[in-house]
Amino acid sequence: MGKRNTLVVLSSDEEGDRSLGSNRRCTKSKLSLTVPRINPRRSKKARVSGPTSSVSKEFCNWDEIRLFCEDFDEKFIGCKLSPGFGRSIKKDLWVDRYKPRSLEELAVNKKKVEEVKLWFEERLKTSEDEFRSCVLVITGQAGVGKSATIHVIASHLGATLCEWNTPTPIIWQEHLYNSSTGIHYRSKLDEFEHFVERISKYGMIPSSLDKDVKSSVILLIDDLPVTNNRAALGRLQNSLYLLVCSTQIPTAILFTNYGEADSADHTTRYLEELQLSLESAGACKVAFNPITHNSIKKTLSKICRQEQHNVSAEQIDLIAKASGGDIRHAITSLQYFCFKPSLMHSLSASNPAPTILKEKPDKVNIADSGFSLHFGRDETLSLFHALGKFLHNKRETENAMELDRDEYFVRKGLSRLPLKMDAPEKVLCQAHGQARPIADFLHENVQDFMSEEAISDAWVVASYLGDADLLLATFRGSFARYNEVENVLQSAAASVAVRGVLFGNSHPLPPGWHAIRRPKLWQIEQSSLRNKREIVKRRYEFYNGSSSSDVTVIATEYTPLLKWLGYRSPGGLETREGNEKVGESIDGMSLDDQESLVSEDEIEDW
Amino acid sequence: MLWVDKYRPKTLDNVLVHQDVAQNLKKLVTEQDCPHLLFYGPSGSGKKTLIMAVIRQMFGPSAEKVKVENKTWKVEAGSRTIDIELTTLSSTNHVELNPSDAGFQDRYIVQEIIKEMAKNRPIDTKGKKGYKVLVLNEVDKLSREAQHSLRRTMEKYSAYCRLILCCNSSSKVTEAIRSRCLNVRINAPTEEQIVNVLEFIGKKEGLKIPSGFTARIAEKSNRSLRRAILSFETCRVQQYPFTSNQSIPPMDWEEYISEIASDIMKEQSPKRLYQVRLKLYELLVNCIPPEIVLKRLLYELLKKLDIELKHEVCHWAAYYEHRMRLGQKAIFHIEGTVSGEKNRALVKLRQKAWL
Repeated sequence: MGKRNTLVVLSSDEEGDRSLGSNRRCTKSKLSLTVPRINPRRSKKARVSGPTSSVSKEFCNWDEIRLFCEDFDEKFIGCKLSPGFGRSIKKDLWVDRYKPRSLEELAVNKKKVEEVKLWFEERLKTSEDEFRSCVLVITGQAGVGKSATIHVIASHLGATLCEWNTPTPIIWQEHLYNSSTGIHYRSKLDEFEHFVERISKYGMIPSSLDKDVKSSVILLIDDLPVTNNRAALGRLQNSLYLLVCSTQIPTAILFTNYGEADSADHTTRYLEELQLSLESAGACKVAFNPITHNSIKKTLSKICRQEQHNVSAEQIDLIAKASGGDIRHAITSLQYFCFKPSLMHSLSASNPAPTILKEKPDKVNIADSGFSLHFGRDETLSLFHALGKFLHNKRETENAMELDRDEYFVRKGLSRLPLKMDAPEKVLCQAHGQARPIADFLHENVQDFMSEEAISDAWVVASYLGDADLLLATFRGSFARYNEVENVLQSAAASVAVRGVLFGNSHPLPPGWHAIRRPKLWQIEQSSLRNKREIVKRRYEFYNGSSSSDVTVIATEYTPLLKWLGYRSPGGLETREGNEKVGESIDGMSLDDQESLVSEDEIEDW
Repeated sequence: MLWVDKYRPKTLDNVLVHQDVAQNLKKLVTEQDCPHLLFYGPSGSGKKTLIMAVIRQMFGPSAEKVKVENKTWKVEAGSRTIDIELTTLSSTNHVELNPSDAGFQDRYIVQEIIKEMAKNRPIDTKGKKGYKVLVLNEVDKLSREAQHSLRRTMEKYSAYCRLILCCNSSSKVTEAIRSRCLNVRINAPTEEQIVNVLEFIGKKEGLKIPSGFTARIAEKSNRSLRRAILSFETCRVQQYPFTSNQSIPPMDWEEYISEIASDIMKEQSPKRLYQVRLKLYELLVNCIPPEIVLKRLLYELLKKLDIELKHEVCHWAAYYEHRMRLGQKAIFHIEGTVSGEKNRALVKLRQKAWL
């Protein structure tokens, strides 16, 4: 739409400013074509330029209507009324079609719902008598039914739900146009601040649409503006604080918790900070847990019944498991699943496989990994978690051995007990591990996890890590252009490193607390590079300055000698001292780093 | 000034070791038709000295007036421009550079920079177009690609410039380059030759040298003339009226490595491996090349090991040395060796205990 509008705008601008005659007709047709779609703001501009252009007169009336609409809209900007929950059958998404309409239908834990409901009831009844904080903070993962709960409770209590809707984003072309007309860009944060200010001053103005209904109002803030820096966070915090302190309407603010694996992101940390500040301002907090397996199953099977799809309990079970407590996801998966008959066949065809493997304790894992390709949320692991898995090297105890032995014969010294985790490659994938850092980390830390006597293990591990390094090094040269090759090599190297560590460490230490160190190698490399640069600078000191000498020669022959001599030439000594200082500072740094890392990334026994 | 520099022969006639090579080179240069040259041989054998003398022979004393320049080169590589910083040492007639300093961008150096240098060649007094001499050091450290483009550059600009390549081992220089150059192998001087040189320096310095002392230095020097002269000077500083049994100070990193070796022999456990790793890091920080570390370590270990183990240890050291060159991070491979060695030492110890 934006594109089209700009086109129109350009032509009308030209029309107004320059040409009156020649291209009038064509613009006219264009304009008349696009009038129904025109944006009110744009038409305002057109109206301004109206007198000069006879064309725009034609749709002046139209403008007025639109302008009226715009004013009307502006009144309700940011505050959309959601008129009940008329469930239209036409909606195709099951998520929408089977939106919970009553408290009973909610899959959320009953106690939690009751808690929230009580809170709202209290606020709605006694909002005038006493001063109490009117803000409820609801946290939880995505898809645990936070908004749905509020919606249902609102309709249950007969309250009107006012929702803060983020204004639609402005695209660049629109912005360019707007700025030329003098309309300033307002960020989402600006709008939100403005909204909060209005709310706190005037309260919620009951919607003009249904004036007759004298119902109570619940305000729902679902989508907080995204903040990317400190200043923006501060502003958001202030406006939220204002909201908490001043609002008379029961307000629910929803926070979506992201997985802990993503917590390196600033945004999540900011969100946590916001929650804390809200709580300290007096807001109540209710945390929603992921929806339980059983209630997801119940909901899914109900939907199946209503849709008259034949889905076996086992399949529902799988879907529920794969969704990880996210009911929205589960329902979408179910719809997708029922939508594709071929998929169902493949599922039922492959169904016998897991049943055969029933003896295996990790049957679910196998089944899971098979189907999560189609639906289900991919879980992420943090790098340290994954490293911990590899280093601790937990394995099954004896009993599971027999199964493997049937398949093919492995020499006794080479066979290992089955792993107590997913395939290492899968773990790597979940941790988004890159081969190089993984190999470095393993190299740095693996010795700490070996028992005291196991020097031959250490050798095996070292040689496997060497293999991995070899694989990683090859792509540096000739293959660098081919991404494919590089990727294959990378993952192969990671796999070799990880599996080498898992295989080689056949006598791991009993599980316990270990700190994972950051590879010292990185620092060593850096400082050796720096030293090398120093040496390169000095390479013209020898040979009477008429030739240059090899770095190797300087490092191995001249420097020790000069050090030994305490050589008279001041230049030589100084650089040497400089080098040593560099080395010392590096050592100091590394120690600090190590300590901080120890405190940060404590690897406990998983 | 260090003695190594002070007594370095300046002309091909003054050379003390490799006199035959020097005479041949002189003949070659004076007959005007000088091919590309590739000098190779172990460190401390006098390659650089010979190269400098050859250049002086070609251009006279003006070749000694050199200036060090640090230039940034802009190289057009496809769609982008790459800035490469490189230090060169140049006189009017020759340029010396270390292309391997540019790391993985060495390819552009040998392609573009040499091309550029070859373009503006000097004109000699008779108005005849002369040629420039390009001295490339550490050719064996060039990447494959760089060596390949060097080959092409050599062919294209052979009329305008002569290349003098210098490296330790010709085995890492591609066949194509080797066949386009006159290969000059510079052997390590024999101990006798080293003794002669040391006596010569001693006489010039007016020192009284007890008999057998220079022989001891020569023996310790591992047949590296530079090293011999350097340690000769150290001894001079340490204690002048030389005594024939005066100790010859070893290099600090060598001592360090022998310490590591005894660590390895003392106890074999992952903990100890970690300590050894820290020591190895220390060496690497000081830019001791990993190949040398590995070689020295093997040497020290061989001194301590039983005869039956020696073969195996050598085998694995060679294996890991090769892989280290292919690989990226030397420490992984050194460690492979170290742990392997430890393992075998342990096995040996166990066997002994069993018997």
